[in-house]
Amino acid sequence: MTNVLTGILTNSLQAVFAMLIFPGGLFVLALGLFLKGVDRKVLARLQRRVGPPLYQPVLDILKLATKETLIPDTANEGAFQLAPVLGLTGMLVTAALLPIGGVWNGVTGLGDLLILLYLLPIPAMGLMLAGGSSSSPYGALGFSREMCMMFAYEMPLIASFLAVAVRVGGAGGSGGSLLSLPAIMDYQYLHGPLLFDPVMLPAALALLLFIPGTMGSGLFDIPEAEPEVIEGPLLEYSGPLLAAFHLMSAVKLVVVLELAVALFFPNPLVATGDGGVMVNLLWHICKCLVLLMVSVTCFRAATGRLRLDQGFSFFVKYTSPLALASLGLAFLLR
Amino acid sequence: MLQLLCKLASRSPWIYRINAGSCNGCDVEMATTALIPRYDVERLGCKYCGSPRHADVVLISGPLTLRVRDKVLRVYNEIPHPKVTVAVGVCPVSGGCFRDGYSVGADIDHYIPLDVIVPGCPPRPQAIMEGILKAVEVWRARLEESVCCHS
Repeated sequence: MTNVLTGILTNSLQAVFAMLIFPGGLFVLALGLFLKGVDRKVLARLQRRVGPPLYQPVLDILKLATKETLIPDTANEGAFQLAPVLGLTGMLVTAALLPIGGVWNGVTGLGDLLILLYLLPIPAMGLMLAGGSSSSPYGALGFSREMCMMFAYEMPLIASFLAVAVRVGGAGGSGGSLLSLPAIMDYQYLHGPLLFDPVMLPAALALLLFIPGTMGSGLFDIPEAEPEVIEGPLLEYSGPLLAAFHLMSAVKLVVVLELAVALFFPNPLVATGDGGVMVNLLWHICKCLVLLMVSVTCFRAATGRLRLDQGFSFFVKYTSPLALASLGLAFLLR
Repeated sequence: MLQLLCKLASRSPWIYRINAGSCNGCDVEMATTALIPRYDVERLGCKYCGSPRHADVVLISGPLTLRVRDKVLRVYNEIPHPKVTVAVGVCPVSGGCFRDGYSVGADIDHYIPLDVIVPGCPPRPQAIMEGILKAVEVWRARLEESVCCHS
């Protein structure tokens, strides 16, 4: 009885630690703001500008915290204030569930792809709630654009999740599929990363295109397009509530990068123990940085914005078939 | 502690442009400060934002024509405190070459307090950036005032 109780206690303590400090909470906030800073700096250097300092996102958050909060008279006040909180907390919880190769194996029994499929759209939901409740026509436009894009980019995400699950499950000999992230990572420790698996390469490409799609950068800067809908759902926000949205976007960036790393290249650099954890953590951050450069920074430096219908059909025509091809091949080679 | 917060916070001035009937000359020069690598206003932590609710520093250009006056005042009131205003070009101060025109009423500073004035027709990008930096000084003082009053 006591054993069970202490087991539950340590498990829940572990979960609380994971959500508040590492790998969720403080760690993910710091990493997210750092990645945002690197993104802005590198983009500036690519455009031959000097660019803001690396810690500029932190300054922005501090600045927004000191500003006045304005809520439009016609807005639905409750939903307007709930939206950023909902998005930020949803993302912080998601970040705590993601395992990091060689560092952290996730909260026991929760590192599941199905749960992630439910948690990943939460920031988009938050933005939609924000756009809908702000009573601004631009907010409403942002709302509808966000929703359209979500329908478009969820499809390749689900298909590449399934492709990975079928590939890993099929190789396990059970003939089924595996939806547990730690098990997927264990498979890659044994058989090498899925990134170098020719069958999974199209799915990896699809996920690479999903990242700018969900972050709204480059070609897919459609829901928050500044010159078109003036940042859409964020238009009416000011002060701390806007800061919450910026934090949400930073954490979401970490979440999607970490998810892609966990699915396709989670392998640690050295064995755990004797400070190996720190090396592996740095290695993990390096992988996130490289992925950020490829899928967000260089992508948005090189491309302009698509129209909503073009963005939608891009995912339907090119990205989804890539992921579906992987899924089909994984089924055939089971 | 609060002083430090204000000092750090004042390094992230977000800029909003209001065109109060300008001939577009000053607006082109303002865009130059953001878009041309040589000037790059982003290295000062600035960001041009599309929504008045995100702004800290307001750049106003143009002589405030009668037609846009109420709209400009409405947009100005939507900017959250603390904020500073920079008048870009001679038009906001005196009406410039549009002075005494049929569509130009009183000068902007009858309606909106102007904190920094950047004269010129149009002013050079360097002058606009200097104006922004001066405005940030004023803004920092206001930040300290508002943060200390709240606590």
